[in-house]
Amino acid sequence: MQTLNSTSLQTANPAPKPHLKPDPYLVIENLSKVYPSPNGSYTVLENVNLTVREGEFICLIGHSGCGKSTLLDMVSGFRKPSQGEVRLQSKRITQPGPDRMVVFQNYSLLPWKTAFENVYLGVKSVYPEKSKAEKEAIARDHLALVGLTEAADKKPKELSGGMKQRVSIARALALRPQVLILDEPFGALDPITREELQEELLKIWTAHRVTVLMITHDIDEALFLSDRIVMMTNGPAARIGEILDVPFPRPRSRTSLVESPEYYNLRNEALDFLYRRFAHEE
Amino acid sequence: MSVFVEVDHVDRVFSLPNGAEYIALKNIELKIRKGEFVSLVGHSGCGKSTLLNIVAGLDNPTTGGVVLEGRQVTQPGPDRMVVFQNYSLLPWLTVRQNIALAVNRVMRQRPKAERISIVEQHVDLVGLRHAADKRPGQISGGMKQRVAIARALAIRPKLLLLDEPFGALDALTRGGLQEQLMRICDESQVTCIMVTHDVDEALLLSDRIVMLTNGPEAHIGQIVDVPFARPRSRMEVVNHPNYYGIRNEIVYFLNQQKRAKARKLKPMVAVSGNGLEKVNLEIGFVPLTDCAPLVVAKEKGFFEKHGLTEITLSREPSWKAIAEGVYGKRLDAAQMVAGMPLGLTLGMSGRAPIPVVSALTLSRNGNAITFDRDIFDAGVRSLADFQALIRRTPDRVHTLGIVHPASMQNLLLRYWLASGGIDPDQDVSLTVIPPPQMLANLTANTIDGYCVGEPWNSRAVQEGRGVVMETDLDLWAGHPEKVLGVREDWANQYPQTHLALVKALLEACEYCDDRRNREEILQLLCQPEYVGVDPDYMRPGFIDAYDRGNGEDPLTLLNYNQFYVNKTNCPDRVEALWTLIQMARWGIVSFPRNWIEVLDRTQRIDVFGQAARDLGLLDIGRDRGAISLFDGSIFNPDDPIHYLNSIAIKRDVRIEEIPLDALATV
Repeated sequence: MQTLNSTSLQTANPAPKPHLKPDPYLVIENLSKVYPSPNGSYTVLENVNLTVREGEFICLIGHSGCGKSTLLDMVSGFRKPSQGEVRLQSKRITQPGPDRMVVFQNYSLLPWKTAFENVYLGVKSVYPEKSKAEKEAIARDHLALVGLTEAADKKPKELSGGMKQRVSIARALALRPQVLILDEPFGALDPITREELQEELLKIWTAHRVTVLMITHDIDEALFLSDRIVMMTNGPAARIGEILDVPFPRPRSRTSLVESPEYYNLRNEALDFLYRRFAHEE
Repeated sequence: MSVFVEVDHVDRVFSLPNGAEYIALKNIELKIRKGEFVSLVGHSGCGKSTLLNIVAGLDNPTTGGVVLEGRQVTQPGPDRMVVFQNYSLLPWLTVRQNIALAVNRVMRQRPKAERISIVEQHVDLVGLRHAADKRPGQISGGMKQRVAIARALAIRPKLLLLDEPFGALDALTRGGLQEQLMRICDESQVTCIMVTHDVDEALLLSDRIVMLTNGPEAHIGQIVDVPFARPRSRMEVVNHPNYYGIRNEIVYFLNQQKRAKARKLKPMVAVSGNGLEKVNLEIGFVPLTDCAPLVVAKEKGFFEKHGLTEITLSREPSWKAIAEGVYGKRLDAAQMVAGMPLGLTLGMSGRAPIPVVSALTLSRNGNAITFDRDIFDAGVRSLADFQALIRRTPDRVHTLGIVHPASMQNLLLRYWLASGGIDPDQDVSLTVIPPPQMLANLTANTIDGYCVGEPWNSRAVQEGRGVVMETDLDLWAGHPEKVLGVREDWANQYPQTHLALVKALLEACEYCDDRRNREEILQLLCQPEYVGVDPDYMRPGFIDAYDRGNGEDPLTLLNYNQFYVNKTNCPDRVEALWTLIQMARWGIVSFPRNWIEVLDRTQRIDVFGQAARDLGLLDIGRDRGAISLFDGSIFNPDDPIHYLNSIAIKRDVRIEEIPLDALATV
């Protein structure tokens, strides 16, 4: 019985990705996050470096408590780095902005507003100069994009989990962000709905050409969606342990993925990282 | 097998407010051994939890019953403990107190010291010594579930029932807990039934996986045996050569159910028209170069021409899925490996026999035996070299992949090995792997070689992973490879449709063997809905010269993929007899004493003849005569039992009368 070692998959020439531009777009440089605690300081993340290209789809995977969400919070601008910086198109990120939209696992919709109103709210605050008709059209178009035209006037409690998550995605995309940040968006959905939404997300990403950073715990989800899988070591002082290049051509289909010998190598490599080399004990 | 839990013909019917009835579970039968770990998988609403509740005694079946160690289950009891997804811990008690509560209640009569010791032992069992005095609000979800498991096990149940125990946790936390649960079950030797929809979880933990179909009237669709040795570790399990094969089988089942749900489980209603009883057919194929006739019949309009206007080609992940699909009537017809109609008719691998007939041979040849490049580099050039290698390395098991027990790949590989004095069951290990996963396993070094159709040999050669040792032209040039298979009752119900199907495919076969069409067919096959691979992997043998990867110049192989020429298509009783004998030789089926009747029933030469005459083609088959193979042996069709007795390497051959008429009414 052999296990794959970490070097077996490092390809000299990563697969060509025609949808990506060569220049760095989002740069995470020497990023650390340290919190003060009663017993001295607690380092969540230490010296994280990652360069993302425009239009790239990145999945972040790691055990709970490895600081994935903290990392994304510093990209979205909700938290400030203790050291290092995050730059988007060479501009340093210091606060949240509509160029970086976040979708959370728990949807975060306003329960007293309809699907349409939830999307419209964001549009209104970001495009005050546009006419009402224009703003409404933007909201409607983005609901249509996620297949929710029919359910536009329903309130969150009348929607299924999958539909709620679609509203959150529509709300985020309506602001035309440059970076879409997804924090385990499908974790609460049943397996069938999760697969459906993964496919929709890919379609939207292809059409919008948005750069995506997504947290997931699901290796198959990461292999299906991403260009690269960034695997984090366990905290404290978590860092990027390994990056897997996902070479499958796009558009992708699940069937052709599972027929590709490479799929199993990558899957086992990720399993080996997460369950053997960086196994997590509570 | 001693039965520990028996679920006997259980139905569960709920009355609806409008007076109607909802049949949730229909005729569930399941026997579980002591110490066994069984998982129930299926989509939400398929009744998995209802079934678990019935075993727990929390719900009662409408008909049928559950028997645990000889006693009927009618109500909940401490011999069956349930662990729910939401932990159900008392929030004001500590970890230790939550466990103690159950122990003190159920084991009242035991001395206090003993009860305390049991509690402490179970705190340790789930690794929560450091958190024993914490309350549920102070610990993580994973730790809470460990408390729930400890509480359930502390009262020594005979049966542990787990209802999606880790469903509320993220996939990675789940992974860690699965390994702990596995260790706990190994230590406590408790019998477990678990409901889950995580396929990896089921594979890691279970001895058997029971797949339920969608409700209403959910029933057991399929049961998969999980062959991994215990104790298991996750990485060993995922590196097992069968892991992804079994995993894909389950995922495929669930996807089938998902699709069935999508079309609201509309029963397949026969649409008649064009003088045919049924024009809407679902036809299964496995993505390999030799599925060409089906693809051509669809894309070049041959189905349409013969009135079959609603043909769906269903791309199946394995030959087992094909067999299941035809057996369970999901598929009307399918491309099958040559021995499959006989195997299904005679009840191979423990299934009830069901007559399946073939009226058309779709292709001949097209397989090769590929070995890992490392074996070639170690100097193995011939069967004798391979035998020497096996002798030199007695402590190493050489594993070879086959696609299905009833396939020519299996029968020819076995024949080849045995001809060189290698017993295919004693000296090497053969394992069934679906064609698309062969190369992945070779690359991961979980197997040393395989016998499979294209493009999986040429692809291994082009990727530098394998070397072709023999093509089937070297072994038995012109052997039957893929056949059209339908259930006999289907053929009887839809005779005109069957005839039209044979005609359409026969014309497609003729089209495939016109070399001028090969480039066009290659483009069709490469489409993702068919084979969906890089055309370069498919060209050798199909269009270009064949490269074995052994450093020699590629060779032009005539008829490596043969679809029509040399009387390809007429079913042949002598060839079928050879196939039958080889399957009996290796214990795959019993040899039927009434073999003449079996061959007449399964080989529908009459339907082929009618189709050929209608098309103005030659309706005669191959000349009846002896078959000569590479080893110089001549197979004489007139005395099969004598032939069977004369072979040296074989299993215990069973010879028995197989009463076919009784089967026809099944």
